[in-house]
Amino acid sequence: MNAPVQPFEPVAEDSLAWLGTDPVPAAPYYDPAWFEDEREAVFRRSWLQIGHVCELPEPGSFIRREVEILRASLLIVRSKDGAIRAFHNVCTHRGTQLVEEAQGKRSTFSCPYHRWTFGNDGRLLSAPDFERFHVTKEDCALPQVAVDTCGGLIFVNFDPAGPQPLRDYLGSMAERLEALPSAQATTFSEYVYETDANWKLTYDNFQENYHLRFIHPRSGAATIGEDNPFGYPLRYGFEGPHRTQTIWANPAPKIAPVQGMAFGRAMACVAADGFEASATGRDYLALFPNFFVLGSPTQPFSHTVWPIAAGKSRGVVRIYWKGEDDSASRRFVREYMMATARDIHAEDRAVIAAGHRGLASGALKHIHFQSQEVLCRHLYRSVAERVQKWREAHRI
Amino acid sequence: MSALPQGFETLEPFVDQWAVAGSAERAARRDASTAEARETFYAAASPLLTSALDRLDGRPLAEHDASETRLMQLMLSLAHVALAVELQQDDEPKHQPLRREMRITRTPAD
Repeated sequence: MNAPVQPFEPVAEDSLAWLGTDPVPAAPYYDPAWFEDEREAVFRRSWLQIGHVCELPEPGSFIRREVEILRASLLIVRSKDGAIRAFHNVCTHRGTQLVEEAQGKRSTFSCPYHRWTFGNDGRLLSAPDFERFHVTKEDCALPQVAVDTCGGLIFVNFDPAGPQPLRDYLGSMAERLEALPSAQATTFSEYVYETDANWKLTYDNFQENYHLRFIHPRSGAATIGEDNPFGYPLRYGFEGPHRTQTIWANPAPKIAPVQGMAFGRAMACVAADGFEASATGRDYLALFPNFFVLGSPTQPFSHTVWPIAAGKSRGVVRIYWKGEDDSASRRFVREYMMATARDIHAEDRAVIAAGHRGLASGALKHIHFQSQEVLCRHLYRSVAERVQKWREAHRI
Repeated sequence: MSALPQGFETLEPFVDQWAVAGSAERAARRDASTAEARETFYAAASPLLTSALDRLDGRPLAEHDASETRLMQLMLSLAHVALAVELQQDDEPKHQPLRREMRITRTPAD
């Protein structure tokens, strides 16, 4: 029995008024000086989502991750004792990057330059002719970066003063992350794109639905409906710098034949995996600064937008799967869901870059957010608060 | 020796173009195809999707022989082609260059 469908009601504007309604300054979306301050105030001092525990299945597993905005290359490893650790990918002798491979399994990391060799716990194990140095091996361990996990996701934090614990940073988001399908993932599909646009402009595209009917007329038909022509969400939530929305979906979308077969088999996989579509299916959790994840069990995906320069970003989209492909149906479902998500994201990239070109001309002093673009406004406020504090503390 | 399992012989003309390994390669085949090639393949393969998956589900993926693997690959290419034929329709030529920038780096099917 289906419950009668309630007509859609958008979130009331007066419940969002506390976030303000003023125009928002345009400069933070393209100004290189602002970007420099974001580097320190936001990215060096926040927990950054960088991977998933399924990438480090056993002791010795490692992944290399480049964090351009902090000019860092990280080795994230599962050490012999099973703990996940994060090190700078840099030999403590004279700074040479140790590892070129993107991922692999090793018990030691050996520098190509002079063969200094480190364990996967970061200790310097051996170095040729070491007695000629004027330092101890204990003082030559790989420099560490704080790392922790929640809901299967790996986070790092570069804060030189020592970060607040991840769970404190996440607050109630921690439990919600643990309830998502991504927490149980053992593998994933991934696609990556780069766009000539500021990271906030890029990220904002994915936290407002106002654009859906114009940019996704074919691929996003199920995200809008007669009583919700813009596909606005059912609810918003805010917690510190993080934010959530409860996604609305058309209760009776038009379904094409292969699309219908793919979704039918997807629901069978969801049931076999023990997921309850109703539990997290509409959850959209945005973690400050640059990560969001959706809980739909047929297509549970995350999207991380990495800043590279004031006008350049990289998006990493991952769709999470539980268990290997054990059947043709499962493999088909995963291929279809990945291709579907990619088709939709492909439509966003060019219009985001067009926005950046317009803003970077300096023509506008302000941009405008409507009440149903409140998540964008909240991101701006969260960033601006940190940048302004940083500026007050570091400029006389 | 047939290229495909019994009952799916009508799909043999599509094997060369569409039975390819790897999600990124299948996406690239969609990109490089003509509207006519997509529509012909969709018309022939989509009515067989349910029976093909049911037939292939009868054995673990790892135990599929060469003909079953080809049929699997055809159906995986159909996933891509169906997005063009069913959803993008005449927007497909405009959509194709946008997709090229979305680099598929990893899937369980690779």
